[in-house]
Amino acid sequence: MLSRVAENLYWMARYLERAENTARFINSTTQVLLDLPRGASFGWDVLLKVAGLDALYDKHYASANEADIMRFLILDERNPGSILASIHGARENTRTFREVLPMEIWERINALYLYIRDNAARATHGRSQRYEVLNGVIERRQSVIGLLMGSMSQDLAYQFLKLGRSLERADMSTRIVDVNSAVRLPEDAAAADTARERLWMNTLNALSAYQMYRQHVGVHVEGPAVFRYLLLDPHFPRSVAHCLGEIEGCLSVLVNYQMPLNIARHAWRRLEGMNLDDLSPASLHEQLDLIQADLGELHNAISRQYFSLHQQTQQQ
Amino acid sequence: MTALARDYPSKDFFDELISPDGQPRPAARTLFQHLDALDAAGLDERRQAVNAAIMTTGITFTVYSEAGNIDRAWPFDIIPRVMSKKEWTRIEAGLKQRLTALNCFINDLYNEQRIVKDGVFPLEVLEGSKNFRAQCKGMTPRFGVWAHVCGTDLVRDGDGTVYVLEDNLRVPSGVSYMLENRQLMKRLFPELFQASDILPVDDYPTRLYDTLAALSPRRGDRPVLAVLTPGIFNSAYFEHSYLAQKMGAFLVEGSDLVVQADDCVYMKTISGLRRVDVIYRRIDDDFLDPEAFRPDSTLGVKGLMRAWRAGNVGIANAPGAGVADDKVVYAFIPKVIQYYLDEAPILPNVPSYLCMYSEDRDYVLANLDKLVVKPANESGGYGMLIGPRATPEERAHFAELIRENPRNYMAQPTLALSTAPTLVGDHMEPRHLDLRPFILQSDKLYCTTGGLTRVAMQAGSLVVNSSQGGGAKDTWIVDVEEEQSQDSRHKTQDGKP
Repeated sequence: MLSRVAENLYWMARYLERAENTARFINSTTQVLLDLPRGASFGWDVLLKVAGLDALYDKHYASANEADIMRFLILDERNPGSILASIHGARENTRTFREVLPMEIWERINALYLYIRDNAARATHGRSQRYEVLNGVIERRQSVIGLLMGSMSQDLAYQFLKLGRSLERADMSTRIVDVNSAVRLPEDAAAADTARERLWMNTLNALSAYQMYRQHVGVHVEGPAVFRYLLLDPHFPRSVAHCLGEIEGCLSVLVNYQMPLNIARHAWRRLEGMNLDDLSPASLHEQLDLIQADLGELHNAISRQYFSLHQQTQQQ
Repeated sequence: MTALARDYPSKDFFDELISPDGQPRPAARTLFQHLDALDAAGLDERRQAVNAAIMTTGITFTVYSEAGNIDRAWPFDIIPRVMSKKEWTRIEAGLKQRLTALNCFINDLYNEQRIVKDGVFPLEVLEGSKNFRAQCKGMTPRFGVWAHVCGTDLVRDGDGTVYVLEDNLRVPSGVSYMLENRQLMKRLFPELFQASDILPVDDYPTRLYDTLAALSPRRGDRPVLAVLTPGIFNSAYFEHSYLAQKMGAFLVEGSDLVVQADDCVYMKTISGLRRVDVIYRRIDDDFLDPEAFRPDSTLGVKGLMRAWRAGNVGIANAPGAGVADDKVVYAFIPKVIQYYLDEAPILPNVPSYLCMYSEDRDYVLANLDKLVVKPANESGGYGMLIGPRATPEERAHFAELIRENPRNYMAQPTLALSTAPTLVGDHMEPRHLDLRPFILQSDKLYCTTGGLTRVAMQAGSLVVNSSQGGGAKDTWIVDVEEEQSQDSRHKTQDGKP
């Protein structure tokens, strides 16, 4: 497998995963807003902060209001993480390696792109249209995944897709959990408890984890239990631990995997050693930051190991 | 009498499907029986289905314009161009004959130049050829073949004669559209493929693979093939990717390859360097190797010519093959066929005037309003003058160009290009077209069944190039003889006999 193609596959999967997660994130946050009790405050700019996009946003927009933030996250191509830009990036990337994918995958990705291109503007016309358009993105992206799983040989190309997808998914999960550290809760203790519970429920919903959590953990939505589930559950596909497991699996199929594998294991050990009971906003945010840094290191290791031959030429 | 063909003007030009009496030609009869059974809505439904399919499959080509690069869907007309197998068999023989002679010619030019010494081909034409590459002198690639893939443009004149308009020996493109057009038609009109003997076209990628694999310097193992593309911004990128996919070859860019001290070519993979045996290059000679050709090229691979000359890698088409892809050299091809094969050419050239000869030049300058003037080395329809359509200023400008550099220009009479019915709104109108078959040669010769039919979508237009608003049709070679004897048609469900 060519280094260049491996890198493009990896990024294509990351872009698509990012687009879907952003869509989920926006939809679930919109939901939770409706349920927050009086006294709790939540700014839309939280979405920017946890996605790490606040500085870029401030460069292009004067104030942080819902309409502008939605435009920025959904269709502003100046934001490389916007849904439209991510899907566009994935499509362009796919064009560079159509020969390694089943033909139909390209058709699905192209259809996803055409859909968001034609509907993105509609998604900024109020919450109900937004919900519908973003759901359309999620569905179409899921059909890409389904086709990949059902029609693509689990060859090297597949491993790079899965690496990109798993890494991006783990990273986005930590960011979605991080929303909990950014909301100001009401003074009243009872009201604060209710708000907290709603927020964690929203987090579960954003990751399509609510039902699985109830089946496997319990009926009560409690911060520490949710946090533990989303970080450490070995079986839930969006938990950080599960994603790290997937990454290990991919690496073991590739050649010369020792260095990235060491870093993945290091990240996993750190995850296991975390204090998951202190969920004060500062502690929560700090711990999630550490995991994100580990994932960043893992990305660098994969890149050095597999994409560097190609990258050296680019730098010359 | 067919309903669709009623009121169709079939007398102005030679029409491929409808004879002057308004009846479908024999090879097109089944097609029209079928089309007539569809009402206007039915026809429109098929057309919409085709457009939707083109959109979702993303069969696009890139058009360069000042407004930026536009990715355009491939304009496709659902009424196929039909030709009888009998006529095609003769054309195919002519194409194979032509490529065989062309390869003898190229090999001779880079070696003894017998044809020049024997006075058949003028030295001044050779010396004036931009595509003659001194770097290739003394080379004899395997089988003596330089042009492994040739796209030859055919046109039909008013009297029905099929002429060779030009040979594309550098990086001819379009074959993927030919294959995709057929896929689209099978999706749309499966019942037609069941009802008539339309010869299949889809063996091309396998034959291309065989043609390329035969060039491998290493014996035994399955050779490593790479399609070398200039990248995603090239107008034919879709095709490069498509062919790589169909052949199971690697699609590489120049930066993916490296020539090591052992003069072998390697590609950069996730597990290190891997040797490449054969390169199907889709970039021009000029950009192939900055060490041998243009030093500023970033698309090519440094040292590629060294590797090729050392026999460590096969390159198709061979560097320098374009010497015979020159519109002035073209005029000599009938003599070239006679010289190397001692056979009369099966397919005629369009009569040509070479501005390098004073007699021809005077004629051309005096008749610019009647002729098509072409520069020797441009492709894609660029830099041409279509005399009857040009303004007096454009003609004056070309007269100037011709006087300045006569070797670089040739002229041909404006042909009354044949037409075929094309769907416009809810009815058919005639549109001009040509045909580009693809011919392969290494140890064996192969020719596509039919080829890519390109059609000028604008009424009256003669320009069929995709870069200038042309579209395409599926091309059917139909075995009419078999069609007539009903009992010989035993078909299986997938339409194969």
